[in-house]
Amino acid sequence: MTGSRAPVFASDLAALISARDAELVDIPVIQPADQFLDMAGEDLRRRIFLTENENGQSLCLRPEFTIPVCRNHIELNAATPKRYAYLGEVFRQRREGGNEFFQAGIEDLGDANRARADARSLADAIASIRLVAPKAELETLLGDQAIFEAVLAALGLPRGWQKKLARAFGNPGQLKGLLADLSSSQKNGSLPDRLTALVADGDETGLAAALEQDMQVAGISPGAGRSPHEIARRLIEKANLASVKLPAQAFAALETFLAIRVPLQTASTHLRTFSRANEFDLGPALDQFEARVVAVREAGIEQENIVYDAAFGRPLDYYTGLVYETRALASPDLGAIVGGGRYDRLLTMLGAVDSIPGVGFSIWLDRLEKIAGDAR
Amino acid sequence: MTITLALPSKGRLKEQALEVLEKAGLKVILPKDQRNYRAQVEGDSRIDILFLSASEIARELGYGSVDLGVTGEDLIRESLSAADERVQIEARLGFGHADVVVAVPEVWYDVSTMADLDDVAAEYRQRHGRRLRIATKYWRLTQQFFSQMHGIQVYRIVESLGATEGAPASGSADIIVDITSTGSTLQANHLKVLEDGIILKSEACLVSSRRSADPTAVAALAQRIQAAIARG
Repeated sequence: MTGSRAPVFASDLAALISARDAELVDIPVIQPADQFLDMAGEDLRRRIFLTENENGQSLCLRPEFTIPVCRNHIELNAATPKRYAYLGEVFRQRREGGNEFFQAGIEDLGDANRARADARSLADAIASIRLVAPKAELETLLGDQAIFEAVLAALGLPRGWQKKLARAFGNPGQLKGLLADLSSSQKNGSLPDRLTALVADGDETGLAAALEQDMQVAGISPGAGRSPHEIARRLIEKANLASVKLPAQAFAALETFLAIRVPLQTASTHLRTFSRANEFDLGPALDQFEARVVAVREAGIEQENIVYDAAFGRPLDYYTGLVYETRALASPDLGAIVGGGRYDRLLTMLGAVDSIPGVGFSIWLDRLEKIAGDAR
Repeated sequence: MTITLALPSKGRLKEQALEVLEKAGLKVILPKDQRNYRAQVEGDSRIDILFLSASEIARELGYGSVDLGVTGEDLIRESLSAADERVQIEARLGFGHADVVVAVPEVWYDVSTMADLDDVAAEYRQRHGRRLRIATKYWRLTQQFFSQMHGIQVYRIVESLGATEGAPASGSADIIVDITSTGSTLQANHLKVLEDGIILKSEACLVSSRRSADPTAVAALAQRIQAAIARG
């Protein structure tokens, strides 16, 4: 399917999502490109349609809705909680399928009851699919960035390693490579003699002063980018890490955790058993997870096939907790029909003064249309 | 039917390309008028020579508007998406050596590998309110190396059209991706190449377009040049 025709069910779907207490918003097709490259990364550059205005500002055709919807919310200085719905074309260079296709979704901003908002997002997403493909066999994979981070903390890993591993969440290949790296030791590159002793003594102030001199010689402004203190701290941190090894026991516990893949309704029990067996305290992350499971049950989607996969994540650095994707079991090659997640960091990154929690999902209408044809 | 062979229009690359052709028994009769960018091969009317800039050659090979060309591998891989589907490298010519590398300020003593850079990039925004900036004119190579090979997503490319190596000192970027042959320019600017920061070892190549209208003639000419290089 190429072309830009809206699927026949588009207006019904727009009615369904806006009836779920969400305001249908119009987002301009032409958007400043920086916000997308900043948030989603430069990898997006080859997939968006970039252009420039007369002043040389980079513009692009809207490649997705979440970022402009959140930006719009910040610019309007709108009150929270607030729910936005959208349905429209997005433009991406794809190898498969057309470059113009439709997406619809809901962004739920500022609901302090995160468990309830998460469950509602899942219920809205699944209801949207069900409107069009009532009989399709679906599987929703649910992951949780916060649980993964809590496990890393409970393993007693140094903070530097925790952060590194947390970034690789949802990317099994990268995670595996990192674990192998961490089992061996990392060293600082060759240092000039005058710095070696300062690093060994952990003398951050002395080291920073020496680095600042080096910067001046190189003509680099110590205030413009990485500061001497920042470099000094990381040098000392690395020197300390070089002597730590990932204990085999921690390694095994992490592997056991990542292999957990169970129906959501039994997931809390599994996580409790796992943390007891390893004497971990997963703290508020687990409480939040359990509250969400309860909320999902109350949202009336317990008959749906929702699977908790401990290793499932979506590789964007603004996701903070829940992440999920719904696929059609009959069309595994199609990819996700819906993708969603919680992005409590995104609005601050986009310039919101107060921290505003958010959760949302996006439906690929071309994929939905396909499974509707298959399953009806 | 004639085929078009594109050659660099100036400098050492042009001279060395002409030498390689001469070894293969292809003597290019240079136009009397220096501004003319077309030429012929002595005693062979089936080959058209076209002088273009090295980056234009890469692009034209991708379109298939020239059949063969001599240009740097860096320009081929930078100018063309899915380069291997559109062109084929027929021979490495042994000149025009340059590495495309990731270089950071020497004073970043804590950063010696891409893994270090990943750590720095991940925390950059939180510390400095903006992403780590990379100055380069090789945005495609940079993006493939950082995003696809090393899983580093959070950085921004600042397109630089000249004097890339000065970007960290001028404050327009934090690090650079650029070509280097001896490393002396990097050194003079107090920059160092990361241990695993070599993106591509480039040199001048004979490249054919997969969209040529006369693949047989292209293959024959490529073979003739390959044989000459093999003879040394």
